Amino acid sequence: MSPIIVGTIIAVMSTPLPAQWLNYATPGIPRTSDGKPNLSAPAPKTADGKPDLSGIWDANSNRQGLNVDAGFVDAGFYERPSGGPLQPWAAALDKQRREMLLKDDPAARCLPMGPPRQDRREPHKIVQLPGLIVILYEVNTLFRQIFLDGRALPKDPNPTWLGYSVGHWEGDTLVVDTGGFNDQVWIWSGHPHTQALRTVERFRRRDFGHLNLKITIDDPQTYTKPWTLMFDLQLVPDSELLESICNENNTNVPHLIGK
Amino acid sequence: MRNRRIVFTAAVLLSAPLAVHLSAQWLNYPTPGIPRLPDGKPNLSAPAPKTADGKPDLSGIWLVNGLDAKNIAPNGVEPPLQPWAETLYRQRLLTSGRDRPGTRCLPPGLPLADLVPDGPFKLIQTPGMLVILYETFTTYRQVFTDGRALPKDPNPAWMGYSVGKWEGDTLRIDTEGFNDETWLDADGHPHSESLHVVENFRRKDFGHMELQVVIDDPRAYTSAWTTSKWDFVLLPETELIEFVCNENEKDLKHMVGK
Repeated sequence: MSPIIVGTIIAVMSTPLPAQWLNYATPGIPRTSDGKPNLSAPAPKTADGKPDLSGIWDANSNRQGLNVDAGFVDAGFYERPSGGPLQPWAAALDKQRREMLLKDDPAARCLPMGPPRQDRREPHKIVQLPGLIVILYEVNTLFRQIFLDGRALPKDPNPTWLGYSVGHWEGDTLVVDTGGFNDQVWIWSGHPHTQALRTVERFRRRDFGHLNLKITIDDPQTYTKPWTLMFDLQLVPDSELLESICNENNTNVPHLIGK
Repeated sequence: MRNRRIVFTAAVLLSAPLAVHLSAQWLNYPTPGIPRLPDGKPNLSAPAPKTADGKPDLSGIWLVNGLDAKNIAPNGVEPPLQPWAETLYRQRLLTSGRDRPGTRCLPPGLPLADLVPDGPFKLIQTPGMLVILYETFTTYRQVFTDGRALPKDPNPAWMGYSVGKWEGDTLRIDTEGFNDETWLDADGHPHSESLHVVENFRRKDFGHMELQVVIDDPRAYTSAWTTSKWDFVLLPETELIEFVCNENEKDLKHMVGK
Protein backbone atom coordinates (compact mmCIF):
# COMPACT_ATOMS: atom_id res chain seq x y z
CA MET A 1 0.00 0.00 0.00
CA SER A 2 1.47 3.35 -0.95
CA PRO A 3 1.78 6.17 1.57
CA ILE A 4 -0.75 8.14 -0.48
CA ILE A 5 -3.35 5.38 -0.20
CA VAL A 6 -2.64 5.00 3.49
CA GLY A 7 -3.03 8.74 3.93
CA THR A 8 -6.33 8.73 2.09
CA ILE A 9 -7.67 5.84 4.13
CA ILE A 10 -6.64 7.52 7.36
CA ALA A 11 -8.45 10.68 6.25
CA VAL A 12 -11.64 8.79 5.41
CA MET A 13 -11.46 6.78 8.62
CA SER A 14 -10.80 9.66 10.95
CA THR A 15 -14.36 9.89 12.30
CA PRO A 16 -14.66 6.45 13.90
CA LEU A 17 -11.23 6.65 15.50
CA PRO A 18 -12.42 8.05 18.87
CA ALA A 19 -14.82 5.12 19.14
CA GLN A 20 -11.93 2.68 19.41
CA TRP A 21 -10.03 4.03 22.39
CA LEU A 22 -7.70 5.71 19.91
CA ASN A 23 -7.81 8.91 21.91
CA TYR A 24 -8.52 7.56 25.37
CA ALA A 25 -6.33 9.41 27.86
CA THR A 26 -3.55 7.14 29.11
CA PRO A 27 -3.83 7.13 32.91
CA GLY A 28 -0.87 8.04 35.10
CA ILE A 29 1.45 9.62 32.54
CA PRO A 30 3.25 12.94 33.12
CA ARG A 31 1.49 15.91 31.55
CA THR A 32 2.38 19.50 30.86
CA SER A 33 0.34 22.34 32.39
CA ASP A 34 -2.01 22.32 29.39
CA GLY A 35 -2.81 18.62 29.98
CA LYS A 36 -0.82 17.28 27.05
CA PRO A 37 1.49 14.30 27.63
CA ASN A 38 4.93 15.51 28.65
CA LEU A 39 7.08 13.50 26.29
CA SER A 40 10.32 15.00 27.57
CA ALA A 41 9.71 14.05 31.21
CA PRO A 42 12.19 11.55 32.65
CA ALA A 43 11.80 7.90 31.71
CA PRO A 44 9.78 6.03 34.35
CA LYS A 45 11.29 3.30 36.51
CA THR A 46 9.92 0.03 37.80
CA ALA A 47 9.93 -0.87 41.51
CA ASP A 48 13.38 -2.46 41.15
CA GLY A 49 14.84 0.77 39.77
CA LYS A 50 15.15 -0.36 36.15
CA PRO A 51 13.81 1.79 33.34
CA ASP A 52 10.21 0.91 32.51
CA LEU A 53 9.86 0.59 28.75
CA SER A 54 6.10 0.05 28.90
CA GLY A 55 4.04 2.01 26.41
CA ILE A 56 2.95 2.10 22.79
CA TRP A 57 5.85 2.86 20.47
CA ASP A 58 6.00 3.72 16.80
CA ALA A 59 8.83 4.43 14.40
CA ASN A 60 6.38 7.03 13.10
CA SER A 61 8.54 8.02 10.20
CA ASN A 62 9.70 6.67 6.88
CA ARG A 63 13.20 7.85 7.70
CA GLN A 64 13.88 4.93 9.97
CA GLY A 65 16.01 1.86 9.91
CA LEU A 66 19.45 3.27 9.34
CA ASN A 67 22.34 0.95 8.82
CA VAL A 68 24.80 2.65 11.09
CA ASP A 69 27.70 0.64 9.74
CA ALA A 70 27.12 1.68 6.15
CA GLY A 71 26.28 5.32 6.73
CA PHE A 72 22.99 7.06 7.12
CA VAL A 73 20.95 5.96 4.16
CA ASP A 74 17.23 6.62 4.20
CA ALA A 75 14.87 3.70 4.27
CA GLY A 76 11.80 4.74 2.34
CA PHE A 77 8.41 3.23 3.01
CA TYR A 78 9.14 0.13 0.96
CA GLU A 79 12.75 0.91 0.18
CA ARG A 80 15.72 -0.62 1.86
CA PRO A 81 18.53 0.88 3.78
CA SER A 82 21.91 0.21 2.25
CA GLY A 83 21.76 -3.17 3.89
CA GLY A 84 24.27 -5.55 5.31
CA PRO A 85 27.49 -6.94 3.88
CA LEU A 86 26.01 -9.91 2.05
CA GLN A 87 27.77 -13.19 1.34
CA PRO A 88 27.75 -13.97 -2.42
CA TRP A 89 24.81 -16.41 -2.32
CA ALA A 90 22.81 -13.96 -0.23
CA ALA A 91 23.61 -11.05 -2.54
CA ALA A 92 22.40 -13.14 -5.49
CA LEU A 93 19.17 -14.04 -3.68
CA ASP A 94 18.64 -10.45 -2.59
CA LYS A 95 19.13 -9.27 -6.21
CA GLN A 96 16.78 -11.93 -7.51
CA ARG A 97 14.09 -10.96 -4.99
CA ARG A 98 14.33 -7.33 -6.01
CA GLU A 99 14.17 -8.24 -9.70
CA MET A 100 11.00 -10.16 -8.88
CA LEU A 101 9.66 -6.94 -7.32
CA LEU A 102 9.61 -8.59 -3.89
CA LYS A 103 6.57 -10.62 -4.87
CA ASP A 104 7.58 -13.54 -2.65
CA ASP A 105 7.73 -11.45 0.49
CA PRO A 106 6.23 -13.63 3.25
CA ALA A 107 4.42 -10.56 4.58
CA ALA A 108 2.30 -10.47 1.40
CA ARG A 109 1.00 -13.90 2.40
CA CYS A 110 0.22 -12.79 5.94
CA LEU A 111 3.25 -14.53 7.39
CA PRO A 112 5.18 -12.85 10.20
CA MET A 113 7.75 -10.23 9.26
CA GLY A 114 10.05 -11.11 12.13
CA PRO A 115 11.22 -8.72 14.82
CA PRO A 116 13.65 -6.56 12.84
CA ARG A 117 10.86 -5.42 10.52
CA GLN A 118 8.00 -5.56 13.02
CA ASP A 119 9.85 -3.29 15.42
CA ARG A 120 9.91 -0.64 12.73
CA ARG A 121 6.41 -0.83 11.34
CA GLU A 122 3.01 -0.21 12.89
CA PRO A 123 2.80 0.67 16.58
CA HIS A 124 3.57 -1.95 19.17
CA LYS A 125 2.97 -2.01 22.89
CA ILE A 126 5.70 -3.00 25.33
CA VAL A 127 4.35 -4.50 28.57
CA GLN A 128 7.13 -4.79 31.14
CA LEU A 129 6.62 -7.18 34.04
CA PRO A 130 8.98 -8.65 36.62
CA GLY A 131 10.95 -11.29 34.74
CA LEU A 132 9.11 -10.88 31.46
CA ILE A 133 8.54 -8.34 28.72
CA VAL A 134 5.72 -8.85 26.25
CA ILE A 135 5.59 -7.00 22.96
CA LEU A 136 2.12 -6.73 21.44
CA TYR A 137 2.49 -5.94 17.76
CA GLU A 138 -0.32 -4.19 15.95
CA VAL A 139 0.83 -5.73 12.66
CA ASN A 140 -0.91 -9.12 12.32
CA THR A 141 -1.90 -8.86 16.01
CA LEU A 142 1.11 -11.01 16.95
CA PHE A 143 2.94 -11.09 20.26
CA ARG A 144 6.44 -11.92 21.37
CA GLN A 145 7.81 -12.73 24.82
CA ILE A 146 11.24 -11.69 26.14
CA PHE A 147 12.27 -13.57 29.28
CA LEU A 148 14.30 -11.74 31.92
CA ASP A 149 14.17 -14.45 34.56
CA GLY A 150 17.71 -15.61 33.93
CA ARG A 151 16.96 -18.53 31.63
CA ALA A 152 19.38 -19.23 28.79
CA LEU A 153 18.37 -19.29 25.13
CA PRO A 154 17.16 -22.77 24.18
CA LYS A 155 19.62 -25.10 22.47
CA ASP A 156 18.57 -26.24 19.01
CA PRO A 157 14.88 -25.30 19.38
CA ASN A 158 12.20 -25.77 16.79
CA PRO A 159 12.88 -22.90 14.32
CA THR A 160 10.36 -20.08 14.54
CA TRP A 161 9.36 -16.88 12.75
CA LEU A 162 9.77 -14.65 15.79
CA GLY A 163 12.61 -16.49 17.50
CA TYR A 164 13.26 -17.09 21.20
CA SER A 165 14.27 -14.04 23.23
CA VAL A 166 15.98 -13.43 26.55
CA GLY A 167 16.91 -10.04 27.94
CA HIS A 168 19.14 -8.45 30.55
CA TRP A 169 19.99 -4.94 31.66
CA GLU A 170 23.29 -3.23 30.94
CA GLY A 171 22.95 0.02 32.86
CA ASP A 172 19.84 1.72 31.50
CA THR A 173 19.83 -0.36 28.32
CA LEU A 174 17.77 -3.48 27.85
CA VAL A 175 19.76 -5.97 25.80
CA VAL A 176 17.68 -8.67 24.11
CA ASP A 177 19.31 -11.72 22.54
CA THR A 178 17.23 -13.67 20.07
CA GLY A 179 17.97 -16.93 18.28
CA GLY A 180 16.11 -19.98 17.03
CA PHE A 181 14.78 -18.36 13.86
CA ASN A 182 13.64 -20.23 10.79
CA ASP A 183 15.16 -19.08 7.47
CA GLN A 184 11.93 -17.68 6.01
CA VAL A 185 11.85 -14.13 7.32
CA TRP A 186 13.11 -11.24 5.20
CA ILE A 187 15.15 -8.93 7.40
CA TRP A 188 14.55 -6.08 4.99
CA SER A 189 12.87 -6.29 1.65
CA GLY A 190 14.92 -8.99 0.01
CA HIS A 191 17.61 -9.46 2.66
CA PRO A 192 17.77 -13.16 3.56
CA HIS A 193 19.14 -14.97 6.54
CA THR A 194 19.77 -18.53 7.69
CA GLN A 195 18.82 -20.38 10.84
CA ALA A 196 22.18 -19.25 12.24
CA LEU A 197 20.74 -15.74 12.67
CA ARG A 198 21.17 -14.11 16.05
CA THR A 199 19.92 -10.63 16.77
CA VAL A 200 20.84 -8.33 19.62
CA GLU A 201 18.35 -5.54 20.26
CA ARG A 202 19.37 -2.65 22.52
CA PHE A 203 16.46 -0.62 23.87
CA ARG A 204 17.16 2.62 25.72
CA ARG A 205 14.33 4.88 26.83
CA ARG A 206 15.89 8.31 26.55
CA ASP A 207 13.03 10.09 28.24
CA PHE A 208 9.32 9.60 28.66
CA GLY A 209 8.49 9.91 24.99
CA HIS A 210 11.53 8.50 23.18
CA LEU A 211 13.06 5.05 22.82
CA ASN A 212 16.27 4.32 20.96
CA LEU A 213 16.58 0.88 19.44
CA LYS A 214 19.63 -0.63 17.79
CA ILE A 215 19.38 -4.07 16.24
CA THR A 216 22.55 -5.97 15.41
CA ILE A 217 22.13 -8.67 12.79
CA ASP A 218 24.64 -11.47 13.18
CA ASP A 219 24.43 -14.34 10.71
CA PRO A 220 27.89 -15.35 9.45
CA GLN A 221 26.36 -17.68 6.87
CA THR A 222 24.58 -14.73 5.22
CA TYR A 223 26.63 -11.64 6.10
CA THR A 224 30.37 -11.19 6.10
CA LYS A 225 30.17 -9.34 9.42
CA PRO A 226 27.51 -8.25 11.90
CA TRP A 227 25.67 -5.05 10.99
CA THR A 228 23.42 -2.74 12.89
CA LEU A 229 20.11 -1.01 12.27
CA MET A 230 19.05 1.99 14.30
CA PHE A 231 15.55 3.22 15.10
CA ASP A 232 14.19 6.19 16.96
CA LEU A 233 10.82 5.22 18.37
CA GLN A 234 8.29 7.68 19.72
CA LEU A 235 5.70 7.08 22.41
CA VAL A 236 2.10 7.09 21.21
CA PRO A 237 0.18 8.37 24.25
CA ASP A 238 -3.59 8.58 24.68
CA SER A 239 -4.19 5.87 22.10
CA GLU A 240 -4.53 2.13 21.69
CA LEU A 241 -3.56 -0.64 19.29
CA LEU A 242 -5.94 -1.61 16.51
CA GLU A 243 -6.80 -5.15 15.52
CA SER A 244 -5.01 -6.08 12.30
CA ILE A 245 -6.04 -9.36 10.68
CA CYS A 246 -4.06 -9.79 7.49
CA ASN A 247 -5.99 -12.85 6.38
CA GLU A 248 -9.25 -10.91 6.32
CA ASN A 249 -10.00 -10.22 2.69
CA ASN A 250 -6.36 -10.42 1.60
CA THR A 251 -6.71 -9.69 -2.10
CA ASN A 252 -3.04 -8.86 -2.60
CA VAL A 253 -1.69 -12.19 -3.73
CA PRO A 254 -3.29 -12.40 -7.21
CA HIS A 255 -2.05 -8.88 -7.92
CA LEU A 256 1.58 -9.50 -7.10
CA ILE A 257 3.69 -9.08 -10.19
CA GLY A 258 7.30 -9.76 -10.98
CA LYS A 259 9.29 -12.37 -12.82
CA MET B 1 0.74 -25.68 12.65
CA ARG B 2 1.66 -27.33 15.87
CA ASN B 3 -0.41 -29.38 18.19
CA ARG B 4 0.44 -29.83 21.82
CA ARG B 5 -1.28 -33.19 22.02
CA ILE B 6 0.73 -34.49 19.08
CA VAL B 7 3.90 -33.24 20.73
CA PHE B 8 2.85 -34.93 23.94
CA THR B 9 1.92 -38.20 22.25
CA ALA B 10 5.12 -38.18 20.27
CA ALA B 11 7.02 -37.55 23.47
CA VAL B 12 5.50 -40.63 25.01
CA LEU B 13 6.20 -42.75 21.97
CA LEU B 14 9.68 -41.42 21.35
CA SER B 15 10.48 -40.27 24.81
CA ALA B 16 14.25 -40.44 24.73
CA PRO B 17 15.06 -38.49 21.56
CA LEU B 18 12.22 -36.01 21.84
CA ALA B 19 12.71 -35.18 25.49
CA VAL B 20 15.81 -33.26 24.53
CA HIS B 21 13.88 -31.16 22.06
CA LEU B 22 11.10 -30.37 24.50
CA SER B 23 13.50 -28.91 27.01
CA ALA B 24 15.08 -27.03 24.16
CA GLN B 25 11.91 -24.95 23.76
CA TRP B 26 11.38 -24.03 27.38
CA LEU B 27 8.58 -26.59 27.47
CA ASN B 28 9.80 -27.94 30.77
CA TYR B 29 11.50 -24.94 32.27
CA PRO B 30 10.60 -24.64 35.99
CA THR B 31 8.16 -21.79 36.58
CA PRO B 32 9.77 -19.48 39.17
CA GLY B 33 7.91 -18.58 42.36
CA ILE B 34 5.08 -21.10 42.34
CA PRO B 35 4.01 -23.15 45.39
CA ARG B 36 5.53 -26.63 45.46
CA LEU B 37 5.02 -29.90 47.28
CA PRO B 38 7.80 -31.42 49.40
CA ASP B 39 8.87 -33.48 46.38
CA GLY B 40 9.32 -30.28 44.35
CA LYS B 41 6.31 -30.73 42.11
CA PRO B 42 3.97 -27.75 41.62
CA ASN B 43 1.23 -27.70 44.26
CA LEU B 44 -1.83 -27.23 42.10
CA SER B 45 -4.22 -27.29 45.05
CA ALA B 46 -2.50 -24.46 46.94
CA PRO B 47 -4.67 -21.35 47.40
CA ALA B 48 -5.10 -19.02 44.43
CA PRO B 49 -2.55 -16.20 44.57
CA LYS B 50 -3.55 -12.57 45.10
CA THR B 51 -2.23 -9.34 43.65
CA ALA B 52 -1.03 -6.45 45.84
CA ASP B 53 -4.54 -4.97 45.89
CA GLY B 54 -6.01 -8.20 47.30
CA LYS B 55 -7.72 -9.37 44.10
CA PRO B 56 -7.19 -12.90 42.83
CA ASP B 57 -4.27 -13.11 40.42
CA LEU B 58 -5.33 -15.13 37.39
CA SER B 59 -1.86 -15.05 35.82
CA GLY B 60 -0.58 -18.31 34.40
CA ILE B 61 -0.78 -20.62 31.40
CA TRP B 62 -4.25 -22.20 31.23
CA LEU B 63 -5.72 -24.99 29.15
CA VAL B 64 -9.35 -25.95 28.87
CA ASN B 65 -9.88 -29.40 30.32
CA GLY B 66 -12.63 -31.87 29.56
CA LEU B 67 -15.41 -30.58 27.35
CA ASP B 68 -14.65 -29.73 23.78
CA ALA B 69 -15.99 -26.59 22.15
CA LYS B 70 -18.08 -28.34 19.51
CA ASN B 71 -21.29 -27.00 21.01
CA ILE B 72 -20.98 -24.54 23.87
CA ALA B 73 -24.61 -24.87 24.97
CA PRO B 74 -25.11 -27.06 28.04
CA ASN B 75 -26.08 -30.65 27.32
CA GLY B 76 -29.63 -30.93 26.03
CA VAL B 77 -30.14 -27.17 25.81
CA GLU B 78 -30.78 -25.58 22.45
CA PRO B 79 -29.91 -21.88 22.39
CA PRO B 80 -32.97 -19.75 21.50
CA LEU B 81 -32.00 -19.01 17.91
CA GLN B 82 -33.80 -16.42 15.81
CA PRO B 83 -35.12 -17.97 12.58
CA TRP B 84 -32.35 -16.65 10.30
CA ALA B 85 -29.72 -17.78 12.78
CA GLU B 86 -31.33 -21.23 13.03
CA THR B 87 -31.19 -21.58 9.24
CA LEU B 88 -27.54 -20.56 9.15
CA TYR B 89 -26.66 -22.86 12.03
CA ARG B 90 -28.32 -25.88 10.32
CA GLN B 91 -26.46 -25.07 7.12
CA ARG B 92 -23.14 -24.96 8.97
CA LEU B 93 -23.86 -28.34 10.53
CA LEU B 94 -24.61 -29.78 7.09
CA THR B 95 -21.40 -28.43 5.62
CA SER B 96 -19.32 -30.09 8.35
CA GLY B 97 -17.81 -26.84 9.51
CA ARG B 98 -16.15 -26.28 6.14
CA ASP B 99 -16.58 -22.51 6.33
CA ARG B 100 -15.33 -22.12 9.89
CA PRO B 101 -13.06 -19.05 9.89
CA GLY B 102 -10.25 -20.95 11.61
CA THR B 103 -9.84 -23.17 8.57
CA ARG B 104 -8.76 -20.02 6.74
CA CYS B 105 -6.45 -18.98 9.55
CA LEU B 106 -8.86 -16.30 10.72
CA PRO B 107 -9.30 -15.58 14.44
CA PRO B 108 -11.70 -17.79 16.37
CA GLY B 109 -13.47 -14.94 18.17
CA LEU B 110 -15.10 -15.41 21.56
CA PRO B 111 -15.68 -17.54 23.48
CA LEU B 112 -14.08 -20.08 21.14
CA ALA B 113 -10.59 -18.60 21.51
CA ASP B 114 -10.61 -19.56 25.20
CA LEU B 115 -11.78 -23.09 24.49
CA VAL B 116 -9.43 -24.42 21.81
CA PRO B 117 -8.53 -28.02 22.69
CA ASP B 118 -4.75 -28.22 23.09
CA GLY B 119 -4.66 -24.44 22.66
CA PRO B 120 -3.44 -22.96 25.95
CA PHE B 121 -3.36 -19.26 26.69
CA LYS B 122 -1.19 -17.24 29.04
CA LEU B 123 -3.08 -14.80 31.18
CA ILE B 124 -1.02 -11.85 32.43
CA GLN B 125 -2.67 -9.65 35.03
CA THR B 126 -1.27 -6.14 35.45
CA PRO B 127 -2.74 -3.11 37.24
CA GLY B 128 -5.36 -1.69 34.90
CA MET B 129 -5.10 -4.34 32.20
CA LEU B 130 -4.99 -8.06 31.55
CA VAL B 131 -3.30 -9.45 28.49
CA ILE B 132 -4.28 -12.86 27.18
CA LEU B 133 -1.66 -14.44 24.93
CA TYR B 134 -3.26 -17.18 22.86
CA GLU B 135 -0.98 -19.93 21.60
CA THR B 136 -3.39 -20.54 18.72
CA PHE B 137 -2.35 -18.09 15.97
CA THR B 138 0.18 -16.39 18.32
CA THR B 139 -2.37 -13.67 18.87
CA TYR B 140 -3.43 -11.66 21.89
CA ARG B 141 -6.23 -9.76 23.45
CA GLN B 142 -6.24 -6.88 25.96
CA VAL B 143 -8.82 -6.59 28.74
CA PHE B 144 -8.87 -3.13 30.29
CA THR B 145 -9.64 -2.92 34.00
CA ASP B 146 -8.84 0.79 34.36
CA GLY B 147 -12.49 1.78 34.47
CA ARG B 148 -12.93 2.80 30.86
CA ALA B 149 -16.28 2.14 29.21
CA LEU B 150 -16.71 -0.07 26.16
CA PRO B 151 -16.31 1.98 22.98
CA LYS B 152 -19.45 3.19 21.23
CA ASP B 153 -19.86 1.96 17.65
CA PRO B 154 -16.25 0.84 17.17
CA ASN B 155 -14.84 -0.66 14.02
CA PRO B 156 -16.08 -4.28 14.21
CA ALA B 157 -13.30 -6.60 15.30
CA TRP B 158 -12.74 -10.37 15.28
CA MET B 159 -11.88 -10.44 18.99
CA GLY B 160 -14.00 -7.46 20.03
CA TYR B 161 -13.19 -4.84 22.67
CA SER B 162 -12.98 -6.00 26.28
CA VAL B 163 -13.25 -4.43 29.72
CA GLY B 164 -13.12 -6.31 33.01
CA LYS B 165 -14.12 -5.81 36.62
CA TRP B 166 -14.20 -7.87 39.81
CA GLU B 167 -17.41 -9.23 41.27
CA GLY B 168 -16.17 -10.79 44.48
CA ASP B 169 -13.54 -13.34 43.46
CA THR B 170 -14.85 -13.55 39.90
CA LEU B 171 -13.39 -11.54 37.06
CA ARG B 172 -16.21 -10.46 34.79
CA ILE B 173 -15.12 -9.54 31.25
CA ASP B 174 -17.57 -7.73 28.99
CA THR B 175 -16.81 -7.75 25.29
CA GLU B 176 -18.59 -6.02 22.42
CA GLY B 177 -17.74 -4.56 19.03
CA PHE B 178 -17.46 -7.88 17.22
CA ASN B 179 -17.78 -8.38 13.51
CA ASP B 180 -20.32 -11.04 12.47
CA GLU B 181 -17.76 -13.43 10.96
CA THR B 182 -16.78 -15.60 13.90
CA TRP B 183 -18.56 -18.71 15.15
CA LEU B 184 -19.43 -19.01 18.83
CA ASP B 185 -18.41 -22.68 18.78
CA ALA B 186 -17.04 -25.28 16.40
CA ASP B 187 -20.53 -26.36 15.31
CA GLY B 188 -21.20 -22.84 14.15
CA HIS B 189 -23.68 -21.09 16.45
CA PRO B 190 -23.83 -17.74 14.68
CA HIS B 191 -23.99 -14.20 15.97
CA SER B 192 -24.47 -10.67 14.71
CA GLU B 193 -22.51 -7.48 15.34
CA SER B 194 -24.82 -6.95 18.35
CA LEU B 195 -23.09 -9.75 20.23
CA HIS B 196 -22.24 -9.05 23.86
CA VAL B 197 -20.14 -11.74 25.56
CA VAL B 198 -19.70 -11.95 29.33
CA GLU B 199 -16.89 -14.21 30.52
CA ASN B 200 -16.85 -15.00 34.24
CA PHE B 201 -13.45 -16.36 35.27
CA ARG B 202 -12.89 -17.70 38.79
CA ARG B 203 -9.58 -19.17 39.93
CA LYS B 204 -10.64 -21.85 42.37
CA ASP B 205 -7.14 -22.66 43.61
CA PHE B 206 -3.61 -22.45 42.33
CA GLY B 207 -4.07 -24.98 39.57
CA HIS B 208 -7.74 -24.67 38.62
CA MET B 209 -9.95 -22.03 37.07
CA GLU B 210 -13.51 -22.10 35.83
CA LEU B 211 -15.29 -20.08 33.19
CA GLN B 212 -18.91 -19.53 32.47
CA VAL B 213 -20.02 -17.44 29.52
CA VAL B 214 -23.24 -15.53 28.85
CA ILE B 215 -24.14 -14.91 25.22
CA ASP B 216 -26.38 -11.91 24.61
CA ASP B 217 -27.21 -11.09 21.01
CA PRO B 218 -30.84 -10.06 20.53
CA ARG B 219 -30.54 -10.11 16.73
CA ALA B 220 -29.43 -13.76 16.71
CA TYR B 221 -31.10 -15.15 19.87
CA THR B 222 -34.48 -14.41 21.41
CA SER B 223 -32.94 -14.20 24.87
CA ALA B 224 -29.54 -14.23 26.53
CA TRP B 225 -28.24 -17.73 27.33
CA THR B 226 -25.54 -19.29 29.43
CA THR B 227 -22.99 -21.77 28.11
CA SER B 228 -21.64 -24.89 29.77
CA LYS B 229 -19.22 -24.36 32.62
CA TRP B 230 -15.62 -24.84 31.54
CA ASP B 231 -12.76 -26.08 33.68
CA PHE B 232 -9.19 -24.98 33.09
CA VAL B 233 -6.00 -26.46 34.44
CA LEU B 234 -2.81 -24.54 35.03
CA LEU B 235 0.12 -25.71 32.93
CA PRO B 236 3.20 -25.13 35.08
CA GLU B 237 6.85 -25.52 34.02
CA THR B 238 6.13 -24.91 30.35
CA GLU B 239 5.76 -22.19 27.78
CA LEU B 240 3.63 -21.28 24.79
CA ILE B 241 4.79 -22.52 21.38
CA GLU B 242 4.79 -20.34 18.28
CA PHE B 243 1.83 -21.15 16.05
CA VAL B 244 1.74 -19.59 12.58
CA CYS B 245 -1.36 -20.88 10.82
CA ASN B 246 -0.43 -19.52 7.40
CA GLU B 247 2.82 -21.47 7.33
CA ASN B 248 2.49 -24.31 4.87
CA GLU B 249 -1.31 -24.19 5.05
CA LYS B 250 -2.70 -27.25 3.25
CA ASP B 251 -6.13 -27.70 4.81
CA LEU B 252 -8.19 -25.58 2.53
CA LYS B 253 -8.17 -27.75 -0.56
CA HIS B 254 -9.20 -30.79 1.46
CA MET B 255 -12.36 -29.24 2.84
CA VAL B 256 -15.45 -31.28 2.14
CA GLY B 257 -19.11 -30.71 2.87
CA LYS B 258 -22.10 -29.63 0.83
